[in-house]
Amino acid sequence: MSDVTLVSPPAPAAIPAAEPVAAHDSNSLISMRGIWKTYQMGSEEVHALHGVSFDIPKGEYIAIIGPSGSGKSTLMNLIGCLDTPSQGEYWLNAKNVSEMDDDELARIRNQEVGFVFQTFNLLARATALHNVELPLIYGGIGSSKRHEMAKQALASVDLADRMTHRPNELSGGQRQRVAIARALVNHPSILLADEPTGALDSHTSMEIMDLFERLHGEGNTIIVVTHEHDIAARAHRVISIRDGLIEKDEKIR
Amino acid sequence: MTPDEAPEVKVPPGSAFIERTAPAVRKRFSLLRLTAIWEAFLVAIGSLRTNKLRTALTLMGIVVGVSAVISVVTIIKGLDQTVAQTFSSQGSTVFTISKQPRVITSREDFIKFSKRRDVTREDAEVVFRMCSSCYQAGIAANKGEIVKHLDQKSDNVLIRGITPTNMFDIDAVTIDSGRTWSENEGESAREICVVGADISENLFQGAAPDRIVGQQVHIAGRPFLIIGVLQPLGKIFGFSRDNLIYIPYSTYQKVFGGRSSLVVFVKTRSAAQLEETEDQVRTIMRNRRGKSFGDPDDGFTLETQDVFLDLYGKATSNIYLVTIGVAAISLVVGGIVVMNIMLVSVTERTKEIGIRKAVGARQRDILTQFLIEAITVTALGGAIGVLTGFGLAYVLALAMGFPLLISAASAVLGVGVSSIVGVVSGLWPAWRASKLDPIEALRSE
Repeated sequence: MSDVTLVSPPAPAAIPAAEPVAAHDSNSLISMRGIWKTYQMGSEEVHALHGVSFDIPKGEYIAIIGPSGSGKSTLMNLIGCLDTPSQGEYWLNAKNVSEMDDDELARIRNQEVGFVFQTFNLLARATALHNVELPLIYGGIGSSKRHEMAKQALASVDLADRMTHRPNELSGGQRQRVAIARALVNHPSILLADEPTGALDSHTSMEIMDLFERLHGEGNTIIVVTHEHDIAARAHRVISIRDGLIEKDEKIR
Repeated sequence: MTPDEAPEVKVPPGSAFIERTAPAVRKRFSLLRLTAIWEAFLVAIGSLRTNKLRTALTLMGIVVGVSAVISVVTIIKGLDQTVAQTFSSQGSTVFTISKQPRVITSREDFIKFSKRRDVTREDAEVVFRMCSSCYQAGIAANKGEIVKHLDQKSDNVLIRGITPTNMFDIDAVTIDSGRTWSENEGESAREICVVGADISENLFQGAAPDRIVGQQVHIAGRPFLIIGVLQPLGKIFGFSRDNLIYIPYSTYQKVFGGRSSLVVFVKTRSAAQLEETEDQVRTIMRNRRGKSFGDPDDGFTLETQDVFLDLYGKATSNIYLVTIGVAAISLVVGGIVVMNIMLVSVTERTKEIGIRKAVGARQRDILTQFLIEAITVTALGGAIGVLTGFGLAYVLALAMGFPLLISAASAVLGVGVSSIVGVVSGLWPAWRASKLDPIEALRSE
């Protein structure tokens, strides 16, 4: 079939011509089809992803695992709509994200994706409440409703009593819970966590993973990107990436 | 996953869902404009408060520029008004008859005017007798002299010999304490005087005017009785206008001799009559000088204070423009400071920009935020600059003795211009911030 190549930039020599790729699954929350990501490094082209395809249904708890340089960060950026694929299609919640411009991507990030980062990425000088409100500000939600939603989100991660604290007044685990509250406050389609326990001690890591489990139980779709096997083991499905390709995709629970 | 299913790829599944939600989404995002501007303002205030040093430096750049412009403009306005008031203190109803103009611009003119006949007391008397539309007239002669009282001494006091006492009215001075002399006293060349307010300050340790009346001063070594003290006129360019002593003209002649050419002052009843009166006086004087109809030179000069003001205006307007221009350069420098610090701020806050983009800030949201930050700082700096500018002008006005003219227009202009500087200098850094790649930005430390 040729649809994919028609909408793509001229395929570099390293990309095999029009590998048969199935249509996306309309029932899936995430549907990736033949995703390539190519970076230009000087005169050389580096392929971070070599035609990756997979589906994630709503409500799944999935881990994407792989060593550094495997392409999992690239994949995470694509899933999180921070970047667009060089080739291939990405459908998120029935929207073709792969063809969107920067502003449309910003809107998708705002409405559909909740990010949780390894280093929390909170605004250092803002209170927990303001940090959680941030996505709602860009979602154009009025201040009273915003306060209400942010308070609820903080309460749901057991931080109702830390709302006026700034990140430097909070422990690592608390900071990550603020970040999770921020990720959830807009009721996104996916919660996308990038090494969420990478900066935490093992005890706090377990707490955060317990929280993910609970959020999954409440119906959230969770994607955890990690290189740690015991973190990946908490998910229900594990996609292993190596050298830009899916090495393994297995249900473990 | 078979190739046969491929044609379905371009059909968006659940398109009904998209159509249903799209307008709602659009509505939420149109609301964003107002909220975002207010939010950006709050964020700006917050970030300005947390980065006090950076804010102070940015503010300083603008404050210096705006206060320079504001103080220069204010001082110039005060200066202009003082000059206008001073030179027209006799009002637009007074003109003078003199041998030569007060301002001579060329050597040829100087030689030409020197050959004219002196204006004499006789001229003045004839003019006043024959001129029907003249209201008051008088003559005056000036000289700087040393004045003493006991061991107190004052250099370079202006001694003004006048007659008749109408000259007090023409000079627009008023008696504070005591009296002026009668015409009889004046004609008999008595050693009496009316002193300006500074004489009390300089020779009598600031004694009240009524305590000085009846005291004696020595002018050019001769004793004079003080019979009156004048109300103060104030300063111009730091020079007092009250360091003077009026004496009768006949006394002046007796003490200093009377050879030099006189200045005759003529006052009309109203400003409307000035031109008509000048024409009358010109005719009378030309007759006295024996000038025929065809002679282009009058042989004397008629001047109003306006002549001087015009000249002042011409001479200073370019200087003012240059001065304001130089002050404005500091505002440009202030703008560069703002741009510099904004660029640093963008670099420093790359991570923050990344976070904001990750949670859904669009390019224009980031652009708005940084622009509003720049405008907030510069407008604030402008406001402070206006205040310090007025403060500076106040101090200078006080020191130089002219009125402080604070205008709302220059305040508004100061804040307005600095806000524009904010937009101009904030645009490039804000644009750079908005174009940052979210992935790169998040990765930065």
